[in-house]
Amino acid sequence: MARSKEIRTCLVCTNIDCANRGSQTILTELQERLQAAGSPVNVKPYLCFGACQDGPNMVLYPEGTWYMGVKESDVPDVAAHILGGEPVARLTERVDPALRDLILDILESGMIDL
Amino acid sequence: MERIVLTKAGGSGPQTLDEYRAESGYEALRRALGGDRQGVIDTVIASGLRGRGGAGFPTGQKWSIAAQEEEPTKYLVINGGEDEPGSLKDRFVFENYPHKVLEGVILAGYAIGATEAIFYVNSTYTQAIALLEQAMREATELGFLGERIGGTDYALSARIHPAPQEYVAGEDTAALEVIEGRAALPRVKPPYPTNAGLFGKPTVVNNVETFAYIPAIVRNGAEWFRSQGSEDNPGTMLFTLPGNVRHPGVVELPIGTSLRELIEEHGGGLASGKDVKAVLPGGPSSGFISGKDLDVPMDRKPLFDMGSALGCGVLRIVEEDTSIVDVVDDIAQFFAREQCGQCPACTMETNTFAKITSQMAKSAGNPALLEQIPKIAAFAKGKGQCSLISMPVPPLTSAVRLFPEDFEAHMAPQT
Repeated sequence: MARSKEIRTCLVCTNIDCANRGSQTILTELQERLQAAGSPVNVKPYLCFGACQDGPNMVLYPEGTWYMGVKESDVPDVAAHILGGEPVARLTERVDPALRDLILDILESGMIDL
Repeated sequence: MERIVLTKAGGSGPQTLDEYRAESGYEALRRALGGDRQGVIDTVIASGLRGRGGAGFPTGQKWSIAAQEEEPTKYLVINGGEDEPGSLKDRFVFENYPHKVLEGVILAGYAIGATEAIFYVNSTYTQAIALLEQAMREATELGFLGERIGGTDYALSARIHPAPQEYVAGEDTAALEVIEGRAALPRVKPPYPTNAGLFGKPTVVNNVETFAYIPAIVRNGAEWFRSQGSEDNPGTMLFTLPGNVRHPGVVELPIGTSLRELIEEHGGGLASGKDVKAVLPGGPSSGFISGKDLDVPMDRKPLFDMGSALGCGVLRIVEEDTSIVDVVDDIAQFFAREQCGQCPACTMETNTFAKITSQMAKSAGNPALLEQIPKIAAFAKGKGQCSLISMPVPPLTSAVRLFPEDFEAHMAPQT
């Protein structure tokens, strides 16, 4: 299914494993960077994407990019993508396409406000 | 029916050693000691006894695997963690029949060649722990525990280890982790405890109630035990009746007794006088049985065929005017809270189910939300180190199947 290219929301997992890997700091830094750039994209915590071993995880919605193993040093590149630049290919290599589809279906079902 | 576990004639308080001996207590052990260990295992296999902790694995087969291991140190773990919501039966057995459990444990120890028995007891069960300690002292004085048991060269030591208040701490391998001094996290299996369990040694983990059947089975034989219950699941079983029936508490009935008889005759029906809408017959991980299907026998196969489970026999009864959505939400929150966080698929599944049901409970549901449930369950299947990953699914899917109108009533208003 062709997905929209629009990015309205960036969901960052803040469940225990991703949080232990520093996801809260990543969420805050990304939020600050996007606000400074005047971006309307909403950065929100998420409950769990089911890939804790590769966290911190984040998903861009509705566009559908899933970033894994995001470090603080990756935040500028991720922000650049959200602000209209190129996707960060090095953070998407390990993503399981079936799990990604399931997560996007769950998001589209209206489980949380996006 | 003939009771096997709850044999006291009445009166309160624990069965004393003298009272237990008056009903042939320790006779089975006295006869078995010095005799053929394999004979004890063969009797338990022939009896068809299944473990009463919830999974229903054949007890004698479990013992047989551990008995075949040629390792001088073997352990026996008596699982009395009892964190199943609403379950009281393990505490009830400890507090009323400590010697019966202990004789069953010593018989099991003798049969498999165990060197140490560890009673893994819910840490809040202080009365049970005190009675167990007393029973252990009395059995030691009688020569049935410690060195040279019954004058033979068999030796068995016993101790108590407190179990933490976490649901997952009752899982066999999580219990072993706790006894070894670590957090209650289930292990990857295999190896199974019977081959490499506590401290890497062959270990049999059985539920408290399971041990309480052993003395009578060894004393009276397998055929006697098989005279009650079903071919697949012989004997009697303890059921915990919940607080909303007229006579809540623990009852012993033949396996296969109908759910209706259990609730109406033994529980006295709902105290409110209302009708039964649905029942979780085997704890929070069993599927709902509709109030229209109360004639189902309380046994593994008939309940499995209806999408449910016998579990450890703890009932939750939903009354006619209760929304199933609220009950399902309570269960989903429970599993999201109690999962241990080791397995990514389980963390995702339990948290997502909990979010979906909380949205439904707030009347903010929609049909697409319900469609995600089977997809999430299919993704998670087989991806956990323990069975908790499969537990939230039956209550949720059975509720959606049996009571679609309750879910429809919780959809968000169309804008």
